[in-house]
Amino acid sequence: MAAYILHRLVWTVVVMVMVGIFVFLLLRLAPGDPAAILAGDSATPQMIDGIREKLGFNDPLPVQFVHWALGILLGDFGTSIFTGRPVLELISQRLEPTISLTILTMIVSVTIGVSFGVFAAWRSGGLIDRVLSAFATLGFSVPVFVVGYFLIYLFAIKSQWLPVQGYQSAGHGLGPWILRLILPTLTLSLPYIAFIARIARASMLEVLSEDYMRTAAAKGASSFSMLFHHALKNAGVPILTVIGISFTSLIGGVVITETVFNIPGVGRLVVDAINNRDYPIIQGMLILVSGLYVVVNLAVDLAYILVDPRIRY
Amino acid sequence: MRISRRDLVKTGLAAGVAVSIPRVLRAQTASTAARTVRMVMGSGDLRVFDPIYTTATITNHHGAAIYDTLFSLDSKLMPQPQMVQKWRVSDDKKTYTFELRDGLGWHDGSPVTAADCVASIRRWGQVASGGQLILERAKDISKMDDKTFTIALKEPLGLLIDILATPLSSCPYMMREKDAKRPATEQVTANIGSGPFKFNEALARPGASFSYDRNEKYVPRKEPSDGLAGAKIVNVDRVIWENIADEQTAFAALQAGEIDFLGAPPVDFYSAVEGDPNLNLQVLDKTGSNVYVRLNFLQKPFDNVKARQAMLHLIDQEAFVRVMSPNPKYGRTVTSVFGNDTLYSNDENTGWYRKGGDPEKARQLFKEAGYAGEKIVILQPTNIAFLSHASQLLAAELRKIGVNAELAPSDWGGVVTRRANKGPIESGGWNIFITSGSGYSQGDPIGNVFFLANGDKAWVGWPKSDEFEALRTKWADVDALETRKALARKMQNVWWDFVGSVMLGQTFWPIARRKNLTGLIGMPSVIPMWNMQKA
Repeated sequence: MAAYILHRLVWTVVVMVMVGIFVFLLLRLAPGDPAAILAGDSATPQMIDGIREKLGFNDPLPVQFVHWALGILLGDFGTSIFTGRPVLELISQRLEPTISLTILTMIVSVTIGVSFGVFAAWRSGGLIDRVLSAFATLGFSVPVFVVGYFLIYLFAIKSQWLPVQGYQSAGHGLGPWILRLILPTLTLSLPYIAFIARIARASMLEVLSEDYMRTAAAKGASSFSMLFHHALKNAGVPILTVIGISFTSLIGGVVITETVFNIPGVGRLVVDAINNRDYPIIQGMLILVSGLYVVVNLAVDLAYILVDPRIRY
Repeated sequence: MRISRRDLVKTGLAAGVAVSIPRVLRAQTASTAARTVRMVMGSGDLRVFDPIYTTATITNHHGAAIYDTLFSLDSKLMPQPQMVQKWRVSDDKKTYTFELRDGLGWHDGSPVTAADCVASIRRWGQVASGGQLILERAKDISKMDDKTFTIALKEPLGLLIDILATPLSSCPYMMREKDAKRPATEQVTANIGSGPFKFNEALARPGASFSYDRNEKYVPRKEPSDGLAGAKIVNVDRVIWENIADEQTAFAALQAGEIDFLGAPPVDFYSAVEGDPNLNLQVLDKTGSNVYVRLNFLQKPFDNVKARQAMLHLIDQEAFVRVMSPNPKYGRTVTSVFGNDTLYSNDENTGWYRKGGDPEKARQLFKEAGYAGEKIVILQPTNIAFLSHASQLLAAELRKIGVNAELAPSDWGGVVTRRANKGPIESGGWNIFITSGSGYSQGDPIGNVFFLANGDKAWVGWPKSDEFEALRTKWADVDALETRKALARKMQNVWWDFVGSVMLGQTFWPIARRKNLTGLIGMPSVIPMWNMQKA
């Protein structure tokens, strides 16, 4: 087990080095000069040249890469070209909104998604199953921004129950914090509820047809006990996998929801950085997100052992 | 199952409480302070705080809030003293002496001195074209005492006061000497000015919002507010700039009263604003902005004047105005190189203008230019709607007369990089690039890079006309308005012959605001926050 974890961690480093090289080259090959954007539209070529020189963009690519890579090894992700602030500081400022939104979305999605999946499997072919399947299809099909705008119209403009946009730190009180996260969480949860519900249903259907479930029923186990004690645990591995995938994709993919609800999270940070060609931020975020992907996948793999004792590494 | 009346009442009460919780919370968290104004400036997020380091519009707004200027434009676009109390020019017109007014102080509590102003002019002069002209002509810029400084020139510069009063980026904002001593290529991040607002560092949320508090110690001028000149009276305690990237969300926030001001809402929202009894559209910058085509003088076919003249005849400005600003209230044609309604607008050599354009004449001129079907690349910024639409229309118009036009779509970041490429198409170059500029700046041949016609050293497109450049150089020496108007006619005559750029029309970008926000000052280039009130 320890050897397995060590092996995976070594591969994490290899993956991140490859991601680093790829990202660095990709950004430098893509069109877009941060100095020109930074200087503004009516800047003179002399202004732009001065900024390029100051930022080190006139150095050869290998020199730029070595500077950046050495910085990363020393824990320095560089400074934003535009704000002049350290990249890690900028990212950490944006983490709270994204993590808040991600965790709330995961709680809502897993709770509702697994419940929907279990009940749909339990009433397979019946009305509940069909209604929940239709909901799952809808959740997948409707784009996030459409749901977002619809909820804003309904709950913020028409009924004026909830704010349209913005984020309040949990440090300023739980009320304002949760209030501003209700609509984004609902918006973002919809596709994940659908995703988790579909996997949970399929997995549960397979388990419910097993012999030991018939045996449990014959021994007089209640429906609740059969579903949640016997079946759900055995159907857990695929559900855990999909939760892991959902979590990592949420961290990196909340961009649209953050934009629609004006939440200053890491997604917005990266989109703004891409528009401005703020290389250090884009590079730093991609390295961190890649690392997170690998770590979460490792955690999910290890969690399989808890759900299914037959699994050994 | 039976439901008792008591259960029903309890359920009803619980439901009522549940439903009202969000309203209560919202009421607690909403900005109820009438003296706080929330604005979405409509010029992107504020990332660079130094208005000398960048020419970005949002940074110019930031500069106008926290810094002050020696001179400012009044509502008639004439320069008036602002930080300066008195000024005089020597009889030989070579020495300007400026005396600062009483009560000027930096936000850190220290007084504004002449040494601060001297250092600020020197730093600004490194980057701004007007400032560069002053530094070129200056024999000496130095302080005489704490409140007085002089600019001694090698030869007269009739435009000096106008240059110091420009509201355009890079605007000559006065900074502390220790900030202004930095090279212009290094950002000043201190945000300490002497203006009517103080930047609130503690409330700064990069990417989300920035706050500006009233500078309680600011001493306004005695004269009434007039344009950017006169008394800068702040009637609110705090102004918060919210950065809402999504236009739909920003508009919803305006409707819901979460923000009070939305700069440059999309054209699609105009009717919705007009239909909302709580909202108003208002054109603040009555000089609007001119949209124009830059042709690459270094590459075929536009290295040939006939091909450039063909473009002049091809463009149907009314059609372009319709796609850029479909509401006729907010767009019109423009035939003067000095724009509409500037001091120097005129009708010299505008015989080329014809309603609907003249495609046949354009086709003929392309032929005379020896155009043989080469690919013509138009840079298309897909994330700026009106420029993207104009690019598409121009491509279609060119194709109609047999020109092999090809759009090169990318975001604005990609366009600003590629437009700097002087090479041929095969090496990533370009032929046509569309952009826009402040209508006010169209009356400023010295400060506006649009007017440079010195080939390689000019702004993108690199137009070249020695005759025009000779006339443009004279501009700085002329101080009488009538003489400048006559010079403007000559310059325009030359410009439309060699076709330095081609106009597509003039557009106005109204702001949307809640009706209880009043007193907004309508001027070009900056959105001042003094004078406004919130009921």
